[in-house]
Amino acid sequence: MRMFTNQLVPMALLVIFFIDALLLAGLVVLKSLHRRHMRSHDVRRHEYLGLLSRHISFENYHEPITETMAEDQAFLDALIDMRNAITGDEVSTLRRIVNHHGVIERQMRYLDSSILLSRRLRAAVALAELGDEISAGTLMRHLDDREPEIRIQSARGLGRIQWTPAIDQIVSRFSDEIPWVRVRFSDTLIGYGTKATWPLLAYIRINHRFDSKGPALALRTLAQIQDDQAVGPLLEVLDETTDLEIQIATVDALSELGSSEALPAVESLLDSEQWELRSKSASALGKLGDPSAIPRLMTVMRDENWWVRRSAAAAVARLPEGIEALYRSLDDEDPFAADAAAEALADAGELVTARERAEEIGVENEPLLAHMGSDVQT
Amino acid sequence: MASGALLCHDRHSVQLPFSPVSDKKRILVADDSETIRALLQTALESAGYEVDIAKDGLSAYELGSNGEYDLIILDQLMPGLLGLDVITRWHEEGLQAPVLMLTGVDDDRTAVESFDRGAVDYVRKPFRITELMARIRMRL
Amino acid sequence: MRWVGYGTIVYFILMQVYLVFLSLLSGAALRRNHHLRRFGRIGEMLSSRTSPPVSIVIPAYNEKAGIVDAVRSMSIVRYPRFEIVVCNDGSSDDTLDALISAFNLEKVRIPYRPDLECAQVRAIYRGRSGVDITVIDKENGGRADALNAGINAARYPYVFCTDADVVLDPDCLVHSMQRVVEDRDRTVGVGGNVRPLNGSRVELGHLIEASVPRPLIPRMQILEYLRTFLASRPGWSWMNALPLVSGAFGIWKKSVVVEVGGFAQGHMGEDMDLTMRIHRHLLETKVPYRIVYEPSAVIWTEVPDSARVLRRQRIRWHRGLMTAIRDFLPMTFNPRYKQLGMLTWGGFFLFEYIAPIIEFIGWFVVPIAWMLGALDTTALIWMFLIAFGMGLMNSFIALMLDESYGYFNSPADTSRLIVMAVIENFGLRQLTVLWRIRAIVGGKGTRSWGNMERRGVANLAGGPSSQQ
Repeated sequence: MRMFTNQLVPMALLVIFFIDALLLAGLVVLKSLHRRHMRSHDVRRHEYLGLLSRHISFENYHEPITETMAEDQAFLDALIDMRNAITGDEVSTLRRIVNHHGVIERQMRYLDSSILLSRRLRAAVALAELGDEISAGTLMRHLDDREPEIRIQSARGLGRIQWTPAIDQIVSRFSDEIPWVRVRFSDTLIGYGTKATWPLLAYIRINHRFDSKGPALALRTLAQIQDDQAVGPLLEVLDETTDLEIQIATVDALSELGSSEALPAVESLLDSEQWELRSKSASALGKLGDPSAIPRLMTVMRDENWWVRRSAAAAVARLPEGIEALYRSLDDEDPFAADAAAEALADAGELVTARERAEEIGVENEPLLAHMGSDVQT
Repeated sequence: MASGALLCHDRHSVQLPFSPVSDKKRILVADDSETIRALLQTALESAGYEVDIAKDGLSAYELGSNGEYDLIILDQLMPGLLGLDVITRWHEEGLQAPVLMLTGVDDDRTAVESFDRGAVDYVRKPFRITELMARIRMRL
Repeated sequence: MRWVGYGTIVYFILMQVYLVFLSLLSGAALRRNHHLRRFGRIGEMLSSRTSPPVSIVIPAYNEKAGIVDAVRSMSIVRYPRFEIVVCNDGSSDDTLDALISAFNLEKVRIPYRPDLECAQVRAIYRGRSGVDITVIDKENGGRADALNAGINAARYPYVFCTDADVVLDPDCLVHSMQRVVEDRDRTVGVGGNVRPLNGSRVELGHLIEASVPRPLIPRMQILEYLRTFLASRPGWSWMNALPLVSGAFGIWKKSVVVEVGGFAQGHMGEDMDLTMRIHRHLLETKVPYRIVYEPSAVIWTEVPDSARVLRRQRIRWHRGLMTAIRDFLPMTFNPRYKQLGMLTWGGFFLFEYIAPIIEFIGWFVVPIAWMLGALDTTALIWMFLIAFGMGLMNSFIALMLDESYGYFNSPADTSRLIVMAVIENFGLRQLTVLWRIRAIVGGKGTRSWGNMERRGVANLAGGPSSQQ
């Protein structure tokens, strides 16, 4: 014990206090460095905002922008902020400044070769916000960057300059990308609008046999792009595929596109063995807006699966004359169908009326009435 | 760049003619974004207006109520009081100054509701500065 | 006698070692997104299509003074889609009226599904302009009850449970929901960073400048909060073993909260209870999941600035901890509950629950044993010094980890915290131990839902080294 205390312990103590001193010193140094940097950054940024505003407001404005300014991170921040605040012709003034001072080239260099990840990230964002065709090549390369956020910003930048060759590149990465980056890629493609339709369709056609996540996302992207030309090809995909997730995504896309061409195919899926698909098809019929689907949907309200019944009832509620049909089915002999109708009426905001109607009809079914919301009455 | 609405001056030789204070139109700019404030202040002052600044809803309300402004440019999302809250109060108090709302790109609701409370116009962000200046000149 | 004497000090040294290990783990976890923090332009990472919508749920009891301002400041948080749900928990003051007039509320009849049990709801109001706000008026039932009601009425798949008197950082939703977006399938909960507001400059519901207060009581808490929120939670989060998502900042997937029955009523530590119940449920049903902690998502709240109020809070917290330890005892050191059971909960049991007892015993045993000559003076001094030094290390590590967040920028702030790290061992710490003993012994915790007590157990892992 004595040896222990005489030698090991003092050593340990020394080490501990040495580390403490190191931490203390580090803390003090870092704090003061950081403080100075932040303060001057804000001050400079403020000045640059003023400078850029003057450039935008006056024609043939000659206040100089020095090389030092152009290399300043604060200047870059001010540029990005200003770019986000304006639109239209004034952007070209900013662009002239940017081009004249090699801002884009510098950021491209940083993105390619800086060792500081934060600098590369800022460069990626700068290129996304301020870039033009010159930066397209660099951005394309960085679609494969190691850092997910940089990949996202690269795609975003390409989308902002509407660089069409990038579309195929972005779509083809759907299968291998991590989910949250993939979603942002999809976002970018939506920004491309109908230009992305055929690349997406091509991707889906090829890949739906091997992969479901990627094509499913591609289908959801198409749903947002709202290009009618996709209806035909989508119907073909629906015909060919047997993957549940893809079927669901296709039906969803078709319902978003709103074409009545899809009605027969979607209705036939109401007989699917998979409840998810029955449910999705029912919802789709609701969105497609054709009241002729109501009788079919009313049958589906007797489905064995609760979620399917609910979707069918909700779909009926969306269709013209659907609400009336639901009231009628409140005294359906199938208690489950009546239940589904009641819930759909409640969801549709028919709360009070439905309840009164139900009581009028003489519905005594407590669980049924309970579906129409709790007693939120004064 | 279309310069119809803006004066063409070389900064270093600008000499605004002497004008008595009462001739200069006064504008209040209320926005919590430093960028927007810088931009609007520069553009408006270059066009010969006198500009006051508010950085949040509360000071916007106070300045607007007490000052005699020829035009007020009011942002919606500000700390303290939202733009709509400010304009509601002014409306109740019978403020005469015309108010131009600045709204976000997805925010149609604010625009519509601001009209109910006496706004004369609204501009979506991001905006075209030339267009904004044109609308302002129309009001003054 | 002798072994008990040495034993207590060795226990504390071990505790400090555990905390240092945890800090290093946390430090490593924090490095992961360090560059994103430095980068600062978090707004560009937003996208309205990909950001899941969030319902901010605020329980309110007698908050007439600050509720309108609080809601207003929350309404300009930077996030594409969210709604605010305020639950008036049967206030006896004009909280409801203040809300109705400020936001032009109208009584509505909407489908209200009582998925979670709570006291009788009297009415529901919706705002008509500007802010997307729903207000629920109900009978008094306590904070947990009010949260449940709010969650029932929340429209969106994620609920952000918080309090009425907090100040949000405008980017807190972006930072925290980013963690959800990264792994949407598995992420069921995100905890955020709670920072004491005391001493800082706040205007119009927004933080202007963060500073360290001079008074000792709030200053000590700043250090405590830093230690737990920066040097413990990131580590636990990395191991998916986060035992506590703070009541003041807890984002949950609504469906999971409903599955486990919502917040428990009458519980002193309902936030810890919910977190552990969700862990247990998902571990037992073998659903892949994760509950993470995001230090960049910040919320500011006022902490007790007097010993009297602090005492009530700490007693309440410890009683909450005791209930939780008892409720989740089967998970302690149980490999079936993986890292949570083995590491975190085991650590809690050993170093949170038992710690005050051992320290208290030590206060008597050590001096007596020494006077009886059973303890070697030199050894004793060495050991105290080691414990002290390691405690300092924990505090300094926490301060270093905090550096990259850009708060506390004046030299006064840094020096005050450094001084506190040293002096808290001489009295303040002992005070908290005494309060915790009181919690263990006494039967009457306060039950009223007063201002400071209702925050539940924002548990603080360990404390600085003992000085017995």
